[in-house]
Amino acid sequence: MTEKNVVIAGFGGQGILLAGEVLANALMLDEKNVTWYPCYGAEMRGGTVNCEIVTSEDEVSSVNKQDADFIIALNQISFDKFLPKLKAGGWVIANSSLVKEIKSRIDINYLFAPITALANELGEIRISNIISLGLLAKISKLTSVDALHKALDNVLPEHRKNLLALNLKALEMGFNFSLAPATAC
Amino acid sequence: MTKTLTTGNHAIAQAAINAGCDGYFGYPITPQSEIGEFMSKKMQELERAYVCAESEIAAINMVLGACSTGAKAMTSSSSCAVALMQESLSYIAADELPVVLVSVMRAGPGLGYIYPSQGDYNQATIGGGNGDYKIIVLAPSTVQECIDLTYKSFYLAQKYRNPTILLADGLLAQMMEPVEFNEYPYPEISIEDWALTGAKNRDSRAIYSLGPQEDRLVERVETLFNKYKQIEENEVEFEEYQTDNADLIVTCFGSIARNVKSAINQCREKGLKVGMLRPITLYPFPTKKYQELAKTTKKFLTIEMNMGQMVRDVRLAVNGQVPVEFFGKSVGQWLSVEDIAAEIERLNS
Repeated sequence: MTEKNVVIAGFGGQGILLAGEVLANALMLDEKNVTWYPCYGAEMRGGTVNCEIVTSEDEVSSVNKQDADFIIALNQISFDKFLPKLKAGGWVIANSSLVKEIKSRIDINYLFAPITALANELGEIRISNIISLGLLAKISKLTSVDALHKALDNVLPEHRKNLLALNLKALEMGFNFSLAPATAC
Repeated sequence: MTKTLTTGNHAIAQAAINAGCDGYFGYPITPQSEIGEFMSKKMQELERAYVCAESEIAAINMVLGACSTGAKAMTSSSSCAVALMQESLSYIAADELPVVLVSVMRAGPGLGYIYPSQGDYNQATIGGGNGDYKIIVLAPSTVQECIDLTYKSFYLAQKYRNPTILLADGLLAQMMEPVEFNEYPYPEISIEDWALTGAKNRDSRAIYSLGPQEDRLVERVETLFNKYKQIEENEVEFEEYQTDNADLIVTCFGSIARNVKSAINQCREKGLKVGMLRPITLYPFPTKKYQELAKTTKKFLTIEMNMGQMVRDVRLAVNGQVPVEFFGKSVGQWLSVEDIAAEIERLNS
């Protein structure tokens, strides 16, 4: 398998780094090589944040690449910033609750999903990051809902394990989201 | 063994604990603050010593004091703060104390910025302290190596009673990768014959660097350099990749080696005869290996995330037998696989 990379981006506080950690954990459980690299600088809550996950059957080379196979953008700034980085034929998963559905590139695949609204349906706005991983599992086939669920068990601290059931619901909600609105290139 | 996903910083801290580190003394600085944070919790749980010092100068001198009692002690810091420790490192080398310093490079000079960089190769291998002394320097390129080489740092520091630097960088410190925490694989080294453990039932001892009244300095420095010779003969470590029949050997250290390897794979697919030599011990430097390869290769290319530091050691080792080129960049975005592959192709054409 050649290397595949995913950029997850949004506001600080949306659980961007945690989503990346869960994805990286799932890929580890799938016995793949994987790296997780956060943007780090003078970041703050409410500012923008992103992380990059690279996975491969072989050794992972660069952990911070010039382009991306998959992008998850949970807010408008991230969508605008990272869209040019997406490889031709790549997929962007955009949170249409916060991102305008404008398709400025014709060589990529778009999946607009109202991720924040879906999270509100579950009664927990903070779970939008995990819903986006369910969407990613569906379109990328990089990993499975099952592996992501196990990964959550690895990542969540003891005093948050009571949230596992809700997180599984969020993963399934993302995975089962109707892909009809998506446009394949 | 089960794998866990962890950052370079946490890998180093956990490995230090597994290696039996008795005391951690440090002062926070990005990009390595998570080492101190991790230690502040774990060391106290284990009833070992953790001190958040008032400055880096205080921290390194606390480590000096702790190590003189035979304790396994360490500090960790970054670039402009490691600069503050240089005076003490010279004293530690003179005192022959097994100090472990984790130096996580960020961009400089001056205060610089918190982006990853490899700009402290000279600071680590040459140093800024006074006098003739040498520090063992190990450079990891993966999170797993952060663990393995932290173990080795403690071992070599104890074995040779010599300060040892683990030279990582901000990228390695902040990224996560699956790792295996194997057990500390080295034998314990006795401290009985030198440490300040209390003079009950034996003559008293003192550990100090010589003052102007002493006439044994020549002898003392010669003893140190006999030790350095042993280190150079026994402890050289490097990674060699595809160097057989390579017309061009790319050489680099630390995390940029990941990108270099990938670039080499790409170039090999295009039929270019190219390989890689990565020193893992920056001191002792694999001089003999370079000399050996200089007999069969046509050219070396040194790649660093700085403006050219290790390249001097490569040129000294190769000693004009074949050309040694340099390709580097000082801060921020790592040189990409594509950039490196393009430079290799340019040199091959």
